[in-house]
Amino acid sequence: MSTLIQGIPQSGQSRFLTRFRSNPFAIPSVLMILIFVVIAVGTALFSSFGHQWPCDPNLTNLEQKLLPPSSLHWLGTDNLGRDVLSRMLHGAYISLTVGLVAVSVSLGIGVLVGAVSGYFGGMTDQILMRTVDALLCFPTFFLILTVVAILGPSLLNIVIIIGLVSWTGTARLVRAEFLTLRETEYVKGARVLGQKSWKIIMQHILPNAAAPILVTAILGIPDAILSEAGLSFLGFGVQPPQATWGNIIADGKTYLLYAWWLNLFPGLAILIASLSFYLAGDALREAAEGRD
Amino acid sequence: MRSIRLFLYGIPALLVVFLIAAFVNATFLSVTKKNEMSIGTLGEPSTLNPIQQADSAASEVAGMMFNGLIKYSRDLEVIGDLATDWTLSQESTFRFQNHEEALKSRDFINTLLSSTPALPVTGLEVQEDRLIVQLRQAGLHASEQIFKTLCDLNYNPLPFPALAKGEKPSPFLAEPILRFHLRKDVRWHDGVPFTAADVAFTYHAIMDERVASPRRSDFELVSSLTVPSPYEVVVRYRKPFSPALASWMQSILPAHLLEKVDPAKWPEIYNRHPIGTGPFKFDSWKTNERIRLVKNPDYFLGSPWLDSIVFRVLPDPLTLQLAFQTKQVDFWGVQPWAVKGLESDPRFELFSAPGNMYNYIGWNLRRPMFQDLRVRQALAQAVNVPQMIKYIIYGRGVQSNGIYTPQVWFYDPKVKPLSYDPKASKSLLDQAGWKPGPDGIRVKDGKRLSFTLLANNGNEVRRDIATLVQDDLKQVGIEVKVEVYEWAVLLKRFVNKGEFDAIVLGWGLGYDFDQYAIWDSSQTHPEELNFIGYSNPKVDRLLSDLRQEYNRPEIIRMAGELQQTIYDDQPYLFLFVPEGTSVMWKGAYRIRRPGRNPGEWIDTPVTMTKAGWSCDMEWFYRPEYPPQAKGSKP
Amino acid sequence: MESFIIRRLGLSLVLLFIISIISFFIVTLTPGSPYPWGELNPKISAEVKANFRKKFHLDRPLPEQYALTMRDLFTGNLRSIKDDRPVLSRIMERLPATLALNVTSILISLSFGTLIGVAAARYAGSWQEVTGSFITFIFIALPGFWISYLLATVLVSNFGVPILGTQSYGIDFPNATAEWLDRLWHLLVPATVLALGGIAAQSRYLRATMIGTMKEDYIRTARAKGLPEDVVLFTHALRNSIRPIISGIGMLLPALISGAVIVENIFAYPGMGRLGYEAVLERDYPTLVALNFVVAALVLLGNLISDILSAAVDPRVRLE
Repeated sequence: MSTLIQGIPQSGQSRFLTRFRSNPFAIPSVLMILIFVVIAVGTALFSSFGHQWPCDPNLTNLEQKLLPPSSLHWLGTDNLGRDVLSRMLHGAYISLTVGLVAVSVSLGIGVLVGAVSGYFGGMTDQILMRTVDALLCFPTFFLILTVVAILGPSLLNIVIIIGLVSWTGTARLVRAEFLTLRETEYVKGARVLGQKSWKIIMQHILPNAAAPILVTAILGIPDAILSEAGLSFLGFGVQPPQATWGNIIADGKTYLLYAWWLNLFPGLAILIASLSFYLAGDALREAAEGRD
Repeated sequence: MRSIRLFLYGIPALLVVFLIAAFVNATFLSVTKKNEMSIGTLGEPSTLNPIQQADSAASEVAGMMFNGLIKYSRDLEVIGDLATDWTLSQESTFRFQNHEEALKSRDFINTLLSSTPALPVTGLEVQEDRLIVQLRQAGLHASEQIFKTLCDLNYNPLPFPALAKGEKPSPFLAEPILRFHLRKDVRWHDGVPFTAADVAFTYHAIMDERVASPRRSDFELVSSLTVPSPYEVVVRYRKPFSPALASWMQSILPAHLLEKVDPAKWPEIYNRHPIGTGPFKFDSWKTNERIRLVKNPDYFLGSPWLDSIVFRVLPDPLTLQLAFQTKQVDFWGVQPWAVKGLESDPRFELFSAPGNMYNYIGWNLRRPMFQDLRVRQALAQAVNVPQMIKYIIYGRGVQSNGIYTPQVWFYDPKVKPLSYDPKASKSLLDQAGWKPGPDGIRVKDGKRLSFTLLANNGNEVRRDIATLVQDDLKQVGIEVKVEVYEWAVLLKRFVNKGEFDAIVLGWGLGYDFDQYAIWDSSQTHPEELNFIGYSNPKVDRLLSDLRQEYNRPEIIRMAGELQQTIYDDQPYLFLFVPEGTSVMWKGAYRIRRPGRNPGEWIDTPVTMTKAGWSCDMEWFYRPEYPPQAKGSKP
Repeated sequence: MESFIIRRLGLSLVLLFIISIISFFIVTLTPGSPYPWGELNPKISAEVKANFRKKFHLDRPLPEQYALTMRDLFTGNLRSIKDDRPVLSRIMERLPATLALNVTSILISLSFGTLIGVAAARYAGSWQEVTGSFITFIFIALPGFWISYLLATVLVSNFGVPILGTQSYGIDFPNATAEWLDRLWHLLVPATVLALGGIAAQSRYLRATMIGTMKEDYIRTARAKGLPEDVVLFTHALRNSIRPIISGIGMLLPALISGAVIVENIFAYPGMGRLGYEAVLERDYPTLVALNFVVAALVLLGNLISDILSAAVDPRVRLE
């Protein structure tokens, strides 16, 4: 096996890419993610310059409420006459933000806890892992509901809360990785040489644990998106007039039997976005694991 | 190995077989025709004890099982329920220096009576230094008239010290007396006869702290309740209080079951399976699924035609709709947007009536920007309410012109609502010193005209209102930020503390004119209902006078004045009164109810009445189960 | 074995204690008041509300509230703020339905998940397997409420089939079989929706584990010995991959109970998920504390059982 030095050796990298490409879903899903990101970022950029396409997502036009998809409104209008397509484009931006930020929070905490736990072991490890176990027993959804009720349902709060309840998986994974990597020759050697713990972690262990951590991150994004949609559905999500995919469905649920487009399109969008991330993450994991 | 394979393939296969069998079974099931009514409710009652409940789901169910002393008829007249008749009289007491003075004044009043027969005096009595006058009617007019005459002719009646803390000394006592005569043929569902002792018990229970009844404030002015005979109840009030009569629509509880029991035990032994006197009795309660009532064949007006009623708990409005379409529930409270489609469908019958509620935006009058009347008027004229009605509730509603709704008898149609006029609005704002700033938002003394409008999630109509108002106000240069919170949070964090700018809300009203709790300047403390901080001495006076007024034309006049005064002040932006619509499968039910004369029955289809379409629900029947002709009980 | 069980039990109890504290404090610190009547009810005076607060010791300092609440919980005296009934009886009413739903859901997840996982491992790489995996991923990515609504609408509008509650209403069943089948139907619909995610998770997990196992040397030996592929698969590979199946139960439980909130609402199913959601909305603190406690206890119990089963199957576990 190629030696585990800082960074990934060239030959390992190309093997990784080959394995990645061999997964039939890999390329399409990555493409889908790219499209998603481009749409989201593009919409945000355009609107910050004042250009809305196809039109302002918050523009209410009561005479045109609840219209089915047509050439004028490709995805129809909602109960206040707002164009669904525009709202969905903005929703993409929110969903992406929710996904990234929530995962960052979750990753930050999870890596920290897992690293400390796995590297230092002993009592610290026991305490931290017991806390993780305790949190895992909680009905997370109740917890999110309750806490959102305390802090109020703003985008920032929701994102932080979702991140706060989902770090446990990452922590366990990171801990497992660290436990293994801690026993390798060069780490032992570095300790003997008197290198500081944090330096060892940052320079040696983390980079080699990077791949599984990245995979967890990517797999965590759709979970965050789905959580946000679920919260919006129950009425605890981002507030009007902000458009999120979950909001559009929640607003449209009363009219389900009559205005199917309010439910179908956002649901499909959530499905496709989540699916892409899952497939990409899965392909990534297979490629990374094959390495060992 | 074979066993592993067996499990591996076998269990999923078994599950699939079960699923298919269950599905096939389900498709072949059809709703059996039963003589039962099925009603869907969005919330589950918290308790079925009528003096401890305050949610509408609970009162719907309990309404079928209990009776009050009086009730409203289809035409919103007050008629007897457990009471056959009642009288309202008043005892007015005047105080004098000594016994002789009192005697003198009594003689004077006697002579006065012979010359002014219009005085509603039915009796005079002297006790020590007091003159006690029995009056035929309640209210202050007659007593005031007597008092004035006594003063004018120097009979020097002395004032009474204040009756309670914070009250002023009063020139005389005026104590209304309600006397009820009760039916003698009523039995509780367990067979025990109903008597006045049950009424007395119910009253004492409501006032008992341990019961924590939300009805307590209705009875706080009662000074005594006595039971002279088993079928007579006499209630005495400390001062004239015209809403008192309506408070006796309160359901009565059985003394024999609850009197000796500590209220803490009521939830276990009574609240989930109560006993009442009503047309239906309790059968079963499957938590979170359904509550079933069966008919009471010994009901004092005669046995209902339906065998049973089931209330199904369906928390999601969509599933409620689905349940209606598959005939799993018989009625559905239709949302405005669906009305049009259903109206033209010949399979259904719709009942619409203006709701007994109105939507409004409350301005927090403690905020400086809302303290200028011109600004409030400008706000009202900047919002296009007719368009709101057209598009949010699909035209099913009317613009509100104040604190009362159109179908009550004291409503004043002459109060004109402010019209939608953005130009007038802008000029009012200019006059008030709010000039357009650089970003289009008006500015005055360096402050921008910008505020936060709150609404509760879970109520789409109010959220839509908030969004529309935001747009409309932007057109006249006012910036509105909308924030939506969950109901409980909204109340605790903002409303109860009086810390908000503006809020979209609605009031569900009763049929009486007393709105003291909402508009009196004393009700502005935390958790009280005048949370906008409104204060107008004229309004305070009108509210208190109304409470003491029993004369109908007077009430109408004062209520109209109250409605106009408050509307002129614009403490709220009065929005609209929505229409409520219910739908039923056509011909599913008819009504056969007792007429005015004994033995007379009136058979009609279900129609809309002043008291709603579900009035007299105990007399609904399904045409497939025609009621047998029978004599009614008197 | 005994020491293992005792250690596990002790650990669970410690966790339960920590959980009770955390859940109590989170719940009581939320804003919103717990009165059972609608707020803004003109009939309720501040005095009545004060009496109410006294009754439920809401006016004592927090640590004292915690102690009182825990005492009440264990003596069965803890009463719901909503309707003054003992909280435990409210929970117990819902427990059978919830257990039925969750157990069925886990059963569906595990059985289908295992089958699909094994098949995926066997035929790994073939187009059937790839398509199958794709479908599995769709299951994971489906928003629960979306699919519930679609399913509900289709079943009711197109097939006229009742799906709400635990039993069809208004039907006289011709015989006991019909009635049981009806109950089964009402149970299977929400259970299946809940199980979709579990099927996907379980099958992916199993597939990955089995593929890993199948690379081991002893599998090569078995093949070299000439054993038919089936035997290899089922006897050796699967046996050694049993642990994931069993630990699958531990994985699925907490997700189920909280994921059920939405599904229970839509299908009007009277379970604990709905109880918890309503309790959050009503700020019914006693119910929330008790519910969190009971749910956590159930999850811990589930984990304990799956750990013991794992230990029974795989002796290496006992040493952990």
